Amino acid sequence: MTERPLEAAPLLLPAATFAGGLAAAAWPMIPSPRILIATGAILLLAALLASARRPRVAVALALVAVALCGVLRAAPPVLPADHLARRALGTSFTLEARLDQEPVRWAPDRTRLLLEVDAVHAGPERLPASGRVQLTVYGELAAPLGEGQRVLVDTRLHRPIGFRNPGGFDYPAHLRRDGILLVGNTRAERVIAITPDAPAWRVAVKRWAVGVISARLPETSGALLAGLLMGERAALPRESDEAFRRAGVYHILAVSGFNVALLAGAVFAGLAMCGIPRRGAAIVAAGVLVGFAAVVGGQPSVLRATVMGLLLLAALLLDRESQLMNALALAVLALLIWRPSDLWEPGFQLSFAATAGIVYLTPWLTRLLGDRRWPSWLAAAVAVSLGAQAAVTPLMLAHFNQLSLIGIVANLAVVPLAGVATTLGMVALLVELGSATLAELLFHALWLLLLALRAIVHVAAALPAAMVHLPAPGLLTIAAWYAALLLLPLAGAARRMRAIVGALLVTVAGLSAWPWLRPTETMLRVTFLDVGQGDAALIELPEGPRLLVDGGPGGARRFDVGERVLAPFLWNRPVGHLDVVALSHWDLDHSGGLAAVLSRFSIGEFWESGRAPAGASEAAMVLTRSRTPRRVLAAGQRLWLGRALITVLGPGPGPPGAANDDSLVLRLDWRGVSLLLPGDLGARGEAQLLERGGPLRTLALKVAHHGSRFSSTGAFLEAARPQLAVVSVGARNPFGHPSPDALARLAGFGARVYRTDRDGAVILETDGRRLQVTTWATGITEVFDLDATDTTAPE
Amino acid sequence: MLYSLPQLRLLILLALTLLAGLGVREWRAGFPDAADRLERFDREESPVPLVPEAEPVAPASSATRRGPPPVATAGTGAPPPSGATAPSPASAPPAEPLDVNRAAAAELARLPGVSPGLAQRIVEERGRRGRFDSPEALRYVLGMGPKKLAAIRPFVTVSD
Repeated sequence: MTERPLEAAPLLLPAATFAGGLAAAAWPMIPSPRILIATGAILLLAALLASARRPRVAVALALVAVALCGVLRAAPPVLPADHLARRALGTSFTLEARLDQEPVRWAPDRTRLLLEVDAVHAGPERLPASGRVQLTVYGELAAPLGEGQRVLVDTRLHRPIGFRNPGGFDYPAHLRRDGILLVGNTRAERVIAITPDAPAWRVAVKRWAVGVISARLPETSGALLAGLLMGERAALPRESDEAFRRAGVYHILAVSGFNVALLAGAVFAGLAMCGIPRRGAAIVAAGVLVGFAAVVGGQPSVLRATVMGLLLLAALLLDRESQLMNALALAVLALLIWRPSDLWEPGFQLSFAATAGIVYLTPWLTRLLGDRRWPSWLAAAVAVSLGAQAAVTPLMLAHFNQLSLIGIVANLAVVPLAGVATTLGMVALLVELGSATLAELLFHALWLLLLALRAIVHVAAALPAAMVHLPAPGLLTIAAWYAALLLLPLAGAARRMRAIVGALLVTVAGLSAWPWLRPTETMLRVTFLDVGQGDAALIELPEGPRLLVDGGPGGARRFDVGERVLAPFLWNRPVGHLDVVALSHWDLDHSGGLAAVLSRFSIGEFWESGRAPAGASEAAMVLTRSRTPRRVLAAGQRLWLGRALITVLGPGPGPPGAANDDSLVLRLDWRGVSLLLPGDLGARGEAQLLERGGPLRTLALKVAHHGSRFSSTGAFLEAARPQLAVVSVGARNPFGHPSPDALARLAGFGARVYRTDRDGAVILETDGRRLQVTTWATGITEVFDLDATDTTAPE
Repeated sequence: MLYSLPQLRLLILLALTLLAGLGVREWRAGFPDAADRLERFDREESPVPLVPEAEPVAPASSATRRGPPPVATAGTGAPPPSGATAPSPASAPPAEPLDVNRAAAAELARLPGVSPGLAQRIVEERGRRGRFDSPEALRYVLGMGPKKLAAIRPFVTVSD
């Protein structure tokens, strides 16, 4: 490390301020572009005038102008007049479009296409149009499609909606960053190719490589090699994917500086061996890098690594000393000017943070470890691993709640092995062009390496606490952490610096531990989660017990709500232990997401009605394997959970009926606050419930069966008289839930209705006297005085 | 000397790699089942053996479940037959024997225990030798062990 890092890397400050400007644009109080441009011009003029006498002032003024440029660049592009998003949606369109990406098969019968739309066909008319559309195709396509092919598609378009829960992932924003404002779905037979599949050279090369790998290697090993070489992870089985994450070595499955360095190094060394001079080798290597980047695609990590690789090669050509930090800063600047929205992508952030961590921290760490008499090779390897890990930790926690504890150790073994495998893989592909027999032998040898790699990852991932899940850190925590990292190498012997670093680290520790240290809450909180079409509600009782009722839709072949929505929500809370998981019935929109929850969290008890067989569902198997105590409940039972009384109202005795009518019906009472959870109960089940009697009058009701027309009958509502009703339902579901009839009946009995399809997660919080209802999508909180409403409620 | 030291090392390394590959190839050809098991060591096995004990399967519901034909389970109450490689429902073998001298790779891949890669190798081997004289000749294909052949034997035939 040089003594004056800023002078060695002059682009560092502009890059940082530009990124800062981009980030600041998310602030709502940004003035109009015209004012920004005028201010920027004035600042630059002032900088020019000041440059002679007061260079520091000039630099500061110029940097502010750069930040303003960032703010300006962040403005969303103006939609062209013929953009699809300007049309009235809701009706069916025939789109003429070009595939902007190879189709992605993400489930056996589901394919995702990225369309660049050219025109809309309305009858005989062909109207020019524009826009990017993500289309999900159900069923098997008649012929495989490829990038660049043109298609005609019948589809209905809509704006993307994610799952709007506390701490949830903003899916529409993620799509918007890729320029996708509309999504749609259609059946495979409605997709008609109008041009043949004529792949561009880069697509053809990639297909050829994937084809060779899958022909030469068995499934999982082949998928792993495709990931190592080209970042193609689509074919990797779920459990392998998970193992790489747990072991903290997932980064080797993405194309990054690692691949680029190996590739450039291999080309360079190979040519040097053959006696080609350095300069020539550098030029060839640069060409290979550009070609490689084109083949593997334009993810931020690829672009970053390529830009940096090219700069280093250029330094070599020009006989200049290469400055990694400056190259990194230039890569940031170039990428952000080109695609400003990448700043918010986890891939971009992780790639740059890891590189910066390695470049900035490794020299200092190596010296530190070297002073402790570590052997130099080990010190260097550990320093790289530590530097990268330290820099990405807050980001991994913020985006994925993941902290891999084994990662630092696992990387020491995995990275070198992956390096050898990647190099050999590239050589084998190259040999394949010449001699298939020789290539086959190389692939056989490679198979051993890949097996060894998988074995290491498997063992590392199987260790207990290989990975821990923690709540996402706040902005302050992240800032304090990075400030500490920034000052650490500079601290040295200076006592004041050390004190500052120490204070920063204490701040980080304190803020991170706060969720566990804060006093226990005195409120009952019920969160009806936005899980799309399905049910999932978390009940948090004041004394600590937690009850999860249903787990939303999920499973291996569809979007798993348990893994993608419930788990992050619980981790962010933070909840590590659920005292009770209750399941109303085994329909997949209630039980599908449970497998992920049951396998990731410690569970006290599992409650079920026991009326219908669990079948061979994944959740049932996890339940059996984990030996969770199971309790079969029936009407009439009463249980205490903390200080809350749980009354079981259904199912009653008698022969099993329809699954919905046999739903487990629970009632919760705490300090005069009551909540009724009737699962998917239908009219028949409601009638039986009324016959059996039992306390039905309630303050809050989870509306039965997502607001179906055949539930929430007048007689039932007459008895329940809920003042608040929550419908857990997905937008545009094929069943027409919630039905206007049911909503009208609810309103007729004076219930205030909340819907997760419009409101996102609905959160009820009460201390027994006041009740607060927060709808997450709108951010609105309503407060009700329970003492007052009780008296006005008709008796 | 003919080669510089780094060049010599690289050549030796390459030769070693090729030799290792040769060894692995012979071993995989000789013990395809062991190789297959090794390849799948970290995969979760198919869920068939793990039928939860707390499941009283009502006769009415067993008819609606996907799985082997009712004849196999009715009366005996035995769990569905589980092989080393349990075929998924999607890859049920075809009703009439498949002609391995004519079948496309995709058709071959539907045979029990035949992966797309193996199917591709069958097609390649067929290309090399022209045709298979008997179903037993499939043993020449890398990865087609005796057990695997026995598993697919009822579903394949050879044309002239």
